Amino acid sequence: MVYLDYAATSPLLPEVITAMHEAEQKFFANASALHTPGHLAMNKIEETRKLLAQLINANPDEIIFTSGASEANNTVIRTFAGHKIYTSPLEHHSIDEAARVLGGNKKPALYSYMFANNEIGEILSIENIIKKAHKNGDYIHSDLTQVLGKLPINIKALDLDYATFSAHKIGGPVGVGALFIKDGAPFKSLIIGGNQEGKRRGTTYNTAGIIGFGAALKYAIKHKTWDIYDAKIRALRDGLAKRILEEIPGSSLNTDITPGKSLPNILNASFQAAEGESIQLYLDAEGIIVSTGSACASGDIKPSHVLMAKTGDAEVAHSSIRFSFGLDNTEEDVKKVMQVLPGIINRLQKISTIERES
Amino acid sequence: MNEGQDWIYSDIVKDHFLNPRNFLFGDESKFDFDAVGVVGNPICGDQMKMYIKVKNGKIEDIRWKTYGCASAIASTSALSELAKGKTLDEVVNISAKDIDDYLGNLPKHKFHCSVLGHQALADAVKKYRAE
Ligand code: FES
Repeated sequence: MVYLDYAATSPLLPEVITAMHEAEQKFFANASALHTPGHLAMNKIEETRKLLAQLINANPDEIIFTSGASEANNTVIRTFAGHKIYTSPLEHHSIDEAARVLGGNKKPALYSYMFANNEIGEILSIENIIKKAHKNGDYIHSDLTQVLGKLPINIKALDLDYATFSAHKIGGPVGVGALFIKDGAPFKSLIIGGNQEGKRRGTTYNTAGIIGFGAALKYAIKHKTWDIYDAKIRALRDGLAKRILEEIPGSSLNTDITPGKSLPNILNASFQAAEGESIQLYLDAEGIIVSTGSACASGDIKPSHVLMAKTGDAEVAHSSIRFSFGLDNTEEDVKKVMQVLPGIINRLQKISTIERES
Repeated sequence: MNEGQDWIYSDIVKDHFLNPRNFLFGDESKFDFDAVGVVGNPICGDQMKMYIKVKNGKIEDIRWKTYGCASAIASTSALSELAKGKTLDEVVNISAKDIDDYLGNLPKHKFHCSVLGHQALADAVKKYRAE
């Protein structure tokens, strides 16, 4: 199998499996308990908190663990319920839908602008938004889910009030995320009832999951994964982009691959007159795993809101495929994609009711 | 949706998707047809075309084109097989349910495009009769 859907989720790193296996056996006790096994479990949780704090340059006290990025995003938006909430057009639905439902007109306002997008990999320049927000006494949140491990992160230098992270995009388990809350920033608990996370989030600690997250963070720090993404993975991504444009008529890129403009591991491309879900499933039949922004593939038959916001063209979304790379991908994977992709696109274009232009 | 199987759609859908029958590959002048039916799908932007060749009141041969999803491809392929050799009255009476039964229950959110071929076929028959 050639797995190119790492931006959706990544397989557990071997180090994570080992750590979680050990956790299930040794650190099963309720981490809030005063007894020794509980205390030992708590120590492991705090270890993860310190690792994340180290990686993003924050204080451990400014981090709480959540059930994932969506919960972290929802927590921030709910804190500003009734307030003016500004979002970028590229946000995840756990932000834009929550903001639509909960936003109001009160001051101070919240700005929620992701640092980099998951579908096209675009890096948004949010420095000016951050400055603007703070000048007016407003607050700023950024969803860094896709950025963790891919680019160096310095929360203090960025001057963010809130930031969201997720374990399963960096080889950790699904069901664990984290929220950075700057010391002194407004905060309302999403889950009320419990002293966990300094009374900021009730519910028994997910010890094994958090330990798994810790192992993934340790891996990222040890291997400086952002450097690997910047060199090896960028070369693979750019190589695929080049070959697609050269070898597939009617193809175009939705990702700007200029360095600094996009995450180095994401490539979104469109193939005129070929429908995305069909491309995805023909690739699947060849053992190549990708995703699409086509309306046909979404449960609600709506095209990707990100591609619609960027291009205003449902056709672009209808024929779009996202290739997202992880640390395990190789040159060989790109070759395998290019062995079958041109044929699949050609066939779909030939049976299509609309004409390819070039 | 498709519990217990390793593919998102049923085996028969998968087979028709991977090996679609009777599609019109390339230029439509390659097929000598008597009428063509067209239907657009406002829901997800898909389009479907059915080309029929009629002899003695029966569908002698049939081709189709689509800009649609796997389910649209598979169901149209299946429909083209069901329609071949049938009289015009018979083919307009093939119901969406017949296609769905034949394909082994499509996911609900795919139903709208899986019946497009059927509408395009009915349109083709209507045009043929109007000629
Ligand atoms: S053609 Fe769009 S969902 Fe089937």
